Amino acid sequence: MNEVVHQTQQTQPETQRNESREPATLLPAVDIVEHADALTLIADMPGVTRESLHLEVDNNVLSLEGEIQLSMPDGLTALHAEVNGQRFARRFTLSHEIDSEAISARIDNGVLTVTLPKKDSHRVRRIEVQAA
Amino acid sequence: MFGDLKRFDSGASQRLDWFRQLMDEVFPDGRAADIRAVPRGSFPMINVARSDDAVRVYVFAAGLAPGDLTIDIQDSVLTLRGRREPVAANDDEGSARPVFRRERVSGEFVRAIALPDGLDTERAEARHANGVFEIVLPKREELKPRRIEVQVA
Repeated sequence: MNEVVHQTQQTQPETQRNESREPATLLPAVDIVEHADALTLIADMPGVTRESLHLEVDNNVLSLEGEIQLSMPDGLTALHAEVNGQRFARRFTLSHEIDSEAISARIDNGVLTVTLPKKDSHRVRRIEVQAA
Repeated sequence: MFGDLKRFDSGASQRLDWFRQLMDEVFPDGRAADIRAVPRGSFPMINVARSDDAVRVYVFAAGLAPGDLTIDIQDSVLTLRGRREPVAANDDEGSARPVFRRERVSGEFVRAIALPDGLDTERAEARHANGVFEIVLPKREELKPRRIEVQVA
Protein backbone atom coordinates (compact mmCIF):
# COMPACT_ATOMS: atom_id res chain seq x y z
CA MET A 1 0.00 0.00 0.00
CA ASN A 2 2.83 2.36 0.77
CA GLU A 3 4.20 1.47 -2.61
CA VAL A 4 1.00 2.61 -4.32
CA VAL A 5 1.11 5.98 -2.64
CA HIS A 6 4.74 6.39 -3.47
CA GLN A 7 4.22 5.65 -7.17
CA THR A 8 1.27 7.95 -7.56
CA GLN A 9 3.20 10.81 -6.05
CA GLN A 10 5.85 10.40 -8.67
CA THR A 11 3.37 10.87 -11.49
CA GLN A 12 1.75 13.88 -9.92
CA PRO A 13 3.21 16.57 -12.19
CA GLU A 14 1.96 14.66 -15.23
CA THR A 15 -1.58 14.29 -13.92
CA GLN A 16 -1.75 17.92 -13.01
CA ARG A 17 -1.14 18.67 -16.63
CA ASN A 18 -3.97 16.32 -17.58
CA GLU A 19 -6.27 17.98 -15.13
CA SER A 20 -6.24 21.30 -16.90
CA ARG A 21 -6.76 19.60 -20.25
CA GLU A 22 -9.68 17.24 -19.55
CA PRO A 23 -12.50 17.31 -17.04
CA ALA A 24 -12.78 14.39 -14.63
CA THR A 25 -15.62 12.75 -16.51
CA LEU A 26 -15.93 8.98 -16.71
CA LEU A 27 -17.27 7.06 -19.65
CA PRO A 28 -19.83 4.49 -18.47
CA ALA A 29 -19.68 1.00 -19.98
CA VAL A 30 -22.83 0.26 -21.98
CA ASP A 31 -24.64 -2.67 -23.58
CA ILE A 32 -27.01 -1.99 -26.46
CA VAL A 33 -29.42 -4.71 -27.56
CA GLU A 34 -32.08 -4.55 -30.27
CA HIS A 35 -35.56 -5.95 -29.78
CA ALA A 36 -38.36 -6.19 -32.30
CA ASP A 37 -40.04 -3.02 -31.09
CA ALA A 38 -37.29 -1.16 -29.22
CA LEU A 39 -33.59 -0.74 -28.51
CA THR A 40 -32.38 -1.18 -24.95
CA LEU A 41 -29.36 0.65 -23.62
CA ILE A 42 -27.88 -0.46 -20.31
CA ALA A 43 -25.19 1.67 -18.68
CA ASP A 44 -23.15 1.10 -15.53
CA MET A 45 -23.27 4.21 -13.42
CA PRO A 46 -22.46 3.16 -9.85
CA GLY A 47 -23.13 5.81 -7.24
CA VAL A 48 -25.58 7.71 -9.43
CA THR A 49 -29.04 8.20 -7.94
CA ARG A 50 -32.36 8.97 -9.57
CA GLU A 51 -31.94 12.60 -8.51
CA SER A 52 -28.39 13.02 -9.81
CA LEU A 53 -29.12 11.45 -13.18
CA HIS A 54 -29.79 13.67 -16.15
CA LEU A 55 -31.12 12.25 -19.43
CA GLU A 56 -31.77 14.39 -22.44
CA VAL A 57 -32.64 13.98 -26.12
CA ASP A 58 -31.72 17.00 -28.16
CA ASN A 59 -31.56 17.06 -31.93
CA ASN A 60 -31.48 13.25 -32.10
CA VAL A 61 -28.61 13.04 -29.61
CA LEU A 62 -29.22 11.13 -26.40
CA SER A 63 -27.09 12.38 -23.50
CA LEU A 64 -26.62 10.41 -20.32
CA GLU A 65 -25.12 12.31 -17.41
CA GLY A 66 -24.91 11.37 -13.77
CA GLU A 67 -23.17 12.69 -10.74
CA ILE A 68 -21.65 10.15 -8.33
CA GLN A 69 -23.30 10.65 -4.96
CA LEU A 70 -21.26 9.21 -2.13
CA SER A 71 -21.54 10.13 1.49
CA MET A 72 -17.93 10.36 2.54
CA PRO A 73 -16.70 11.83 5.81
CA ASP A 74 -14.38 14.82 5.75
CA GLY A 75 -10.67 14.43 6.12
CA LEU A 76 -10.18 11.42 3.85
CA THR A 77 -6.89 10.88 2.06
CA ALA A 78 -6.85 8.71 -1.03
CA LEU A 79 -4.62 5.65 -0.89
CA HIS A 80 -5.67 4.09 -4.18
CA ALA A 81 -8.16 5.33 -6.76
CA GLU A 82 -9.48 3.54 -9.81
CA VAL A 83 -12.52 5.78 -10.10
CA ASN A 84 -11.16 9.29 -10.28
CA GLY A 85 -13.98 11.44 -11.46
CA GLN A 86 -17.15 12.76 -10.00
CA ARG A 87 -19.51 12.25 -12.92
CA PHE A 88 -20.37 9.89 -15.77
CA ALA A 89 -21.29 11.21 -19.19
CA ARG A 90 -21.84 9.68 -22.60
CA ARG A 91 -23.72 10.64 -25.75
CA PHE A 92 -25.28 8.62 -28.56
CA THR A 93 -26.78 9.66 -31.86
CA LEU A 94 -30.23 8.18 -32.37
CA SER A 95 -31.46 7.02 -35.71
CA HIS A 96 -34.71 8.47 -37.08
CA GLU A 97 -36.79 5.37 -36.37
CA ILE A 98 -36.57 5.94 -32.59
CA ASP A 99 -39.68 7.53 -31.11
CA SER A 100 -37.93 10.06 -28.88
CA GLU A 101 -41.20 11.05 -27.20
CA ALA A 102 -41.64 7.55 -25.82
CA ILE A 103 -38.17 6.94 -24.36
CA SER A 104 -38.29 5.63 -20.81
CA ALA A 105 -35.54 4.97 -18.26
CA ARG A 106 -34.95 3.58 -14.82
CA ILE A 107 -31.93 3.26 -12.56
CA ASP A 108 -31.49 0.37 -10.20
CA ASN A 109 -28.39 -0.32 -8.07
CA GLY A 110 -26.39 2.02 -10.29
CA VAL A 111 -27.45 0.36 -13.55
CA LEU A 112 -29.31 2.63 -15.92
CA THR A 113 -31.71 0.98 -18.39
CA VAL A 114 -33.03 3.16 -21.20
CA THR A 115 -35.75 1.81 -23.49
CA LEU A 116 -35.81 3.44 -26.91
CA PRO A 117 -39.04 2.39 -28.65
CA LYS A 118 -39.19 2.35 -32.42
CA LYS A 119 -41.85 4.25 -34.28
CA ASP A 120 -44.75 2.05 -35.32
CA SER A 121 -43.81 2.20 -38.97
CA HIS A 122 -40.38 0.73 -38.24
CA ARG A 123 -41.27 -2.25 -36.09
CA VAL A 124 -40.29 -5.65 -37.28
CA ARG A 125 -43.16 -7.55 -38.80
CA ARG A 126 -42.85 -11.17 -39.60
CA ILE A 127 -44.26 -12.00 -43.00
CA GLU A 128 -45.77 -15.38 -43.27
CA VAL A 129 -45.05 -17.20 -46.50
CA GLN A 130 -48.24 -18.73 -47.68
CA ALA A 131 -48.42 -22.13 -49.16
CA ALA A 132 -49.12 -22.04 -52.84
CA MET B 1 -13.70 14.23 -2.67
CA PHE B 2 -13.06 12.59 -6.01
CA GLY B 3 -11.64 15.87 -7.12
CA ASP B 4 -8.99 15.04 -4.54
CA LEU B 5 -8.58 11.54 -5.80
CA LYS B 6 -7.95 12.91 -9.24
CA ARG B 7 -4.42 13.86 -8.38
CA PHE B 8 -3.69 10.25 -7.50
CA ASP B 9 -4.55 9.28 -11.01
CA SER B 10 -1.88 6.97 -12.31
CA GLY B 11 -2.71 7.11 -15.98
CA ALA B 12 -4.62 8.67 -18.82
CA SER B 13 -8.39 8.80 -19.12
CA GLN B 14 -10.56 5.76 -19.79
CA ARG B 15 -11.06 6.98 -23.31
CA LEU B 16 -7.40 6.28 -24.02
CA ASP B 17 -7.54 2.90 -22.39
CA TRP B 18 -7.12 0.77 -25.51
CA PHE B 19 -4.26 2.97 -26.59
CA ARG B 20 -2.62 2.68 -23.21
CA GLN B 21 -2.90 -1.08 -23.26
CA LEU B 22 -1.37 -1.19 -26.72
CA MET B 23 1.45 1.07 -25.61
CA ASP B 24 2.00 -1.00 -22.48
CA GLU B 25 2.35 -4.10 -24.61
CA VAL B 26 4.67 -2.54 -27.15
CA PHE B 27 6.69 -0.41 -24.76
CA PRO B 28 6.43 -1.98 -21.32
CA ASP B 29 7.27 0.58 -18.70
CA GLY B 30 10.29 -0.26 -16.62
CA ARG B 31 8.66 0.52 -13.33
CA ALA B 32 7.65 -2.45 -11.22
CA ALA B 33 3.89 -2.91 -11.07
CA ASP B 34 2.13 -3.56 -7.82
CA ILE B 35 1.65 -7.31 -7.48
CA ARG B 36 -2.13 -6.88 -7.25
CA ALA B 37 -2.45 -4.06 -9.76
CA VAL B 38 -5.14 -4.57 -12.40
CA PRO B 39 -5.66 -3.13 -15.84
CA ARG B 40 -7.93 -0.14 -15.96
CA GLY B 41 -11.58 -0.90 -16.48
CA SER B 42 -11.60 -4.02 -14.29
CA PHE B 43 -14.83 -4.88 -12.55
CA PRO B 44 -15.58 -3.81 -9.91
CA MET B 45 -13.46 -0.69 -9.60
CA ILE B 46 -12.13 0.08 -6.14
CA ASN B 47 -11.13 3.26 -4.34
CA VAL B 48 -9.39 3.19 -0.99
CA ALA B 49 -9.21 6.19 1.30
CA ARG B 50 -7.84 6.72 4.79
CA SER B 51 -9.02 8.94 7.61
CA ASP B 52 -7.65 9.34 11.12
CA ASP B 53 -9.74 6.53 12.54
CA ALA B 54 -10.45 4.16 9.65
CA VAL B 55 -9.65 2.94 6.17
CA ARG B 56 -12.60 3.08 3.81
CA VAL B 57 -12.90 0.91 0.72
CA TYR B 58 -15.39 1.95 -1.97
CA VAL B 59 -16.37 -0.78 -4.42
CA PHE B 60 -18.12 0.50 -7.55
CA ALA B 61 -20.19 -2.54 -8.47
CA ALA B 62 -23.19 -1.39 -10.47
CA GLY B 63 -25.94 -3.96 -10.71
CA LEU B 64 -25.03 -5.92 -7.60
CA ALA B 65 -27.56 -6.17 -4.81
CA PRO B 66 -26.26 -6.16 -1.22
CA GLY B 67 -26.28 -9.96 -1.10
CA ASP B 68 -24.38 -10.41 -4.36
CA LEU B 69 -20.94 -9.44 -3.05
CA THR B 70 -18.91 -11.62 -0.71
CA ILE B 71 -16.30 -9.72 1.28
CA ASP B 72 -13.50 -11.63 3.01
CA ILE B 73 -10.50 -10.34 4.91
CA GLN B 74 -7.53 -12.47 5.71
CA ASP B 75 -4.00 -11.37 6.60
CA SER B 76 -4.60 -7.79 5.46
CA VAL B 77 -5.85 -8.91 2.07
CA LEU B 78 -9.41 -7.94 1.22
CA THR B 79 -11.05 -10.30 -1.26
CA LEU B 80 -14.25 -9.45 -3.12
CA ARG B 81 -16.18 -12.17 -4.89
CA GLY B 82 -19.39 -12.09 -6.78
CA ARG B 83 -21.26 -12.65 -9.95
CA ARG B 84 -23.14 -10.34 -12.26
CA GLU B 85 -25.74 -11.78 -14.57
CA PRO B 86 -25.28 -10.97 -18.26
CA VAL B 87 -28.03 -9.27 -20.21
CA ALA B 88 -30.08 -11.95 -21.88
CA ALA B 89 -29.33 -11.88 -25.58
CA ASN B 90 -32.29 -14.08 -26.44
CA ASP B 91 -35.91 -13.24 -26.84
CA ASP B 92 -38.53 -15.10 -24.92
CA GLU B 93 -39.04 -17.29 -27.95
CA GLY B 94 -35.33 -18.06 -27.98
CA SER B 95 -34.31 -16.22 -31.12
CA ALA B 96 -31.11 -14.20 -30.85
CA ARG B 97 -31.24 -10.42 -30.74
CA PRO B 98 -28.70 -8.20 -32.41
CA VAL B 99 -26.24 -6.75 -29.89
CA PHE B 100 -24.49 -3.53 -30.87
CA ARG B 101 -22.31 -2.99 -27.85
CA ARG B 102 -21.27 -5.26 -25.06
CA GLU B 103 -18.90 -3.32 -22.83
CA ARG B 104 -20.31 -4.28 -19.46
CA VAL B 105 -18.51 -7.06 -17.66
CA SER B 106 -20.61 -10.00 -16.61
CA GLY B 107 -20.05 -13.35 -14.97
CA GLU B 108 -17.95 -14.27 -11.96
CA PHE B 109 -15.28 -11.99 -10.60
CA VAL B 110 -12.73 -12.09 -7.81
CA ARG B 111 -10.64 -9.12 -6.82
CA ALA B 112 -8.12 -8.83 -4.00
CA ILE B 113 -6.45 -5.74 -2.61
CA ALA B 114 -3.81 -5.35 0.06
CA LEU B 115 -4.86 -3.32 3.08
CA PRO B 116 -2.56 -1.31 5.32
CA ASP B 117 -1.56 -2.99 8.57
CA GLY B 118 -3.12 -2.22 11.89
CA LEU B 119 -6.81 -2.51 11.06
CA ASP B 120 -9.34 -3.95 13.43
CA THR B 121 -11.10 -6.32 11.10
CA GLU B 122 -13.40 -7.51 13.90
CA ARG B 123 -15.18 -4.17 13.80
CA ALA B 124 -15.36 -3.91 10.01
CA GLU B 125 -18.68 -2.86 8.53
CA ALA B 126 -20.06 -2.71 5.00
CA ARG B 127 -22.87 -0.65 3.52
CA HIS B 128 -24.46 -0.54 0.10
CA ALA B 129 -26.17 2.27 -1.81
CA ASN B 130 -26.83 2.75 -5.52
CA GLY B 131 -24.39 0.09 -6.65
CA VAL B 132 -21.53 1.28 -4.45
CA PHE B 133 -20.35 -0.76 -1.46
CA GLU B 134 -18.57 1.07 1.34
CA ILE B 135 -16.42 -1.05 3.63
CA VAL B 136 -15.26 0.69 6.80
CA LEU B 137 -12.25 -0.85 8.50
CA PRO B 138 -11.51 0.93 11.79
CA LYS B 139 -7.90 1.35 12.86
CA ARG B 140 -6.77 -0.32 16.04
CA GLU B 141 -6.86 1.98 19.05
CA GLU B 142 -3.11 2.09 19.49
CA LEU B 143 -2.59 3.32 15.92
CA LYS B 144 -4.95 6.26 16.00
CA PRO B 145 -3.28 9.64 16.01
CA ARG B 146 -2.83 11.09 19.48
CA ARG B 147 -1.94 14.54 20.60
CA ILE B 148 0.48 14.76 23.48
CA GLU B 149 -0.03 17.64 25.82
CA VAL B 150 3.12 19.35 27.06
CA GLN B 151 2.98 19.72 30.79
CA VAL B 152 4.09 22.82 32.56
CA ALA B 153 7.23 22.15 34.55
